Amino acid sequence: MNRAVSRLAYRLILRLHPTSFRDEFGSEMLWIFDQEQQLGAAAHLFLDGTLSLLRQRFRSQNSPGQLSIASGVMITGPGIAPVRFFQAVLALSLFCLGLMILKLPNSLNASVTWADRMPCYTVTLQAPSHAEVVLQTTP
Amino acid sequence: MPAKTAKSPPLSAATLHILLALAGGNLHGYGIIKEVARNSDGHYRLGPGTLYDNLKKLISAGLVADVPTSSSTRKAASAKDDDRRFFALTREGKDALAKEVDRLQGVVTKARARLQEARTGRA
Repeated sequence: MNRAVSRLAYRLILRLHPTSFRDEFGSEMLWIFDQEQQLGAAAHLFLDGTLSLLRQRFRSQNSPGQLSIASGVMITGPGIAPVRFFQAVLALSLFCLGLMILKLPNSLNASVTWADRMPCYTVTLQAPSHAEVVLQTTP
Repeated sequence: MPAKTAKSPPLSAATLHILLALAGGNLHGYGIIKEVARNSDGHYRLGPGTLYDNLKKLISAGLVADVPTSSSTRKAASAKDDDRRFFALTREGKDALAKEVDRLQGVVTKARARLQEARTGRA
């Protein structure tokens, strides 16, 4: 199950790559992911895939008239389109999801409870390393 | 003493490792990743994103080329690898690798000399 979800997450990262790059190398990258997953060593590929996505997207956007960086200040023409920003956020989310699936298979237990008749809520995260984090917020 | 070579920019670590892996023979992407890990004793792990980004640049620069489907190298590969895309080092790629190795050799020679000086200076 975890394998199928992590494969789907990696496919989504690939899907967000520019079409030309994806058409040329996407199937090969997915095949490599499958091979590494069989060996149980696919976790680092999420970071690699996310960095690759950012690299390819930045490169494809960094054409003259669209985006230029001078003296550390970003000067934009039309600017980064909202869809690109959404893609970056989605890629980061997929990367985190992939890490959670591969690195923390049964270790993260999250629950949200509302105290009875109390205007507060509690979020508890438990890990098998006996570490426990309790966040309690009162409005 | 290394041969005098034309000035060329240093190659990135990923590029150097990819060229070095392909110097041993034609490989597909996963083969390159495994060869790089083997050559570096597992210290350098190349991901497919980094690999294909670099391969794309190397192909455009003419240092690496796609191996045609009918190549004998592909025939020698296992049936599982049949539909994979293989890459080969071009003559320009071999030259670039040789220059980089010479450059690194020069760096190592200088570094050894400096260390030797430091040791003798301390003694």
